[in-house]
Amino acid sequence: MTGQRPIGPLTWLILAFIAAPLLIVVPMSFSTAPSLEFPPPGWGFDYYRAFFSDPRWLQPLLNSFIIALGAAALTMLLVVPASFAMVRHRFRGRALTNLLLLLPLTAPHIVIALGYYSYFGSLHLTQTYAGVILAHTCLAVPMVFLTLSAALKGFDRNLERAGANLGASPLRVFRHVTFPVLRPAFVVAALFAFVQSFDETVVALFISGRDAATLPRKIFDAMRTQADPVVAVVSTLLLAAVIAGVIGSRAWQRRRKRMNAIAFAPQ
Amino acid sequence: MTAAADLNAERRAAHYLDIVDVVKTYDGIRRAVDGVSLAIPKGEFVTFLGPSGSGKTTTLMMIAGFEDPSAGDIRLDGRSLVSIAPHRRNIGMVFQNYALFPHMTAADNVAFPLLMRGVERTEQQRRAAAALDTVGLASMANRHPRELSGGQQQRVALARALVFEPDVLLLDEPLGALDKNLREQMQVEIKHLHRSLGITTIFVTHDQSEAMTMSDRIAVFNNGRIEQFAAPLEVYARPATQFVGGFVGDSNFLDVVVSDPLLGVARSSVVGELVTAPSALTAGTAARLMVRPESFRIDAGSDPPEGRWNHCSVRIEGSVNYGDSVLVIGRTGDIPIRLRLSGSDAMPLRERDTVRVRWRAEDSCLLAR
Repeated sequence: MTGQRPIGPLTWLILAFIAAPLLIVVPMSFSTAPSLEFPPPGWGFDYYRAFFSDPRWLQPLLNSFIIALGAAALTMLLVVPASFAMVRHRFRGRALTNLLLLLPLTAPHIVIALGYYSYFGSLHLTQTYAGVILAHTCLAVPMVFLTLSAALKGFDRNLERAGANLGASPLRVFRHVTFPVLRPAFVVAALFAFVQSFDETVVALFISGRDAATLPRKIFDAMRTQADPVVAVVSTLLLAAVIAGVIGSRAWQRRRKRMNAIAFAPQ
Repeated sequence: MTAAADLNAERRAAHYLDIVDVVKTYDGIRRAVDGVSLAIPKGEFVTFLGPSGSGKTTTLMMIAGFEDPSAGDIRLDGRSLVSIAPHRRNIGMVFQNYALFPHMTAADNVAFPLLMRGVERTEQQRRAAAALDTVGLASMANRHPRELSGGQQQRVALARALVFEPDVLLLDEPLGALDKNLREQMQVEIKHLHRSLGITTIFVTHDQSEAMTMSDRIAVFNNGRIEQFAAPLEVYARPATQFVGGFVGDSNFLDVVVSDPLLGVARSSVVGELVTAPSALTAGTAARLMVRPESFRIDAGSDPPEGRWNHCSVRIEGSVNYGDSVLVIGRTGDIPIRLRLSGSDAMPLRERDTVRVRWRAEDSCLLAR
């Protein structure tokens, strides 16, 4: 490590510029000010107490969890078989399928949101959990698909052959070999879908309504009406949750690399 | 027992694993395996030897059930395997990269086939431990594959393939990833295991010395066909084709025309009349005469021992000293010749010298051109 130059003042400035808007909400959440202001005039946990005792905040928090879990589950249910089919089989229409699976990645969120707003309206799916879950699933598909198919491409098919050779039926090969070996990738993919849904704002603004309002939508509403400092608390919690999610998935990925180092590159 | 039944039982024993006219094609045109037939008796150690792409691994995969033959049949002890799923075949296999389950300990890897067969838990553990003990890894039972060396992983894979007492053991280039010393040690151990268990074994390799040291018989593959299926010494001394002669061991080829196949006489435009082992070729056909480099002796002018001998002069162009022998490279006429001589025979030879050599008629043979 010797001989490395320390980070210069200009670099620090740029880094601070990037991180400041993220981190400014953290001190504000411990503020005693009656409305959002920086720097805080005093410190306390008043707004944390307010957040955790107010059903108008707790309901969206619960909604967000329900929707994120639902979206993650539905995404996995659809994308796991899809990625197996795409990686392991050659069939007519495969290129088109690939394009469609990745489409939500390229389409602007606001366009997608408008589409859902008018389309789900006629299906009576706006302002319902089902509607938001469906929309978030669609948005999570590309990343989950990319994650899973990368893991599948690196999976040594000889492990499955060995399983069959040792007496396991195809179903038991999946249960005892394929799934356990790929489990870290499955967990990372599901976390992706969960975080993506928990984080998503534009589509939620358009279709979640009052009944299925998610946390980001509630924050937006709260800001528009009263600049309620509880927003800083929610933002801090959201930030903490996402960071925990990212760190968690990184840890799983490292574990997966360790686990599979031997399966993928035996020596 | 009647004579007919006796004969039938005999036939069945000789055809324990019976591969009949097997063809494998992926596109309907090119044949990866092109009409392979092999009858392997129970308990025999057979090596599939050949270059990559010769069809040896594809044939192995069809025996294991991971590929379906496009035509032909594979029978084990009289019943066809072709429509049987791989997991119902009761055939053990060691994969080229071992394919150990990375999420299981060595003991769980070895117990896996027993778990799949519904063996009771304590019995699983007992048999897995015994199998690991057989391959000398009793102390490594609780390690994961990533915590084992290549040689140890290889042994776990071997224990796992044998613990359920399969009918046939398949080994797909299992020694390729090991260093030379470990490879030789594993050759001996695999051979020893084969001898003590008496299990019918098929060993795939492209390494001819491995095939030589380990096999009861060698099937030499080339272009999806079997060029020869015989005992190692026969493959070496009497190769059936020029490909076998060139692939197995080092060899010299001289273009000749057969004069008398029964007496083993042929004529070379460069060396003149040559005597060789009798051949099935007809008189007048163009053929190649094969001589191994170690068959040559220095012709010091004294009378040779009893027998029919050939003589020729070789102009020396260079030599490689291996310690136990010296490879001398030269030419007779314009034909390149490789001689393997003892150190004391090679010592006086110098580059650009011409040396007289001789070889015994039985140490050469005629191959169709």
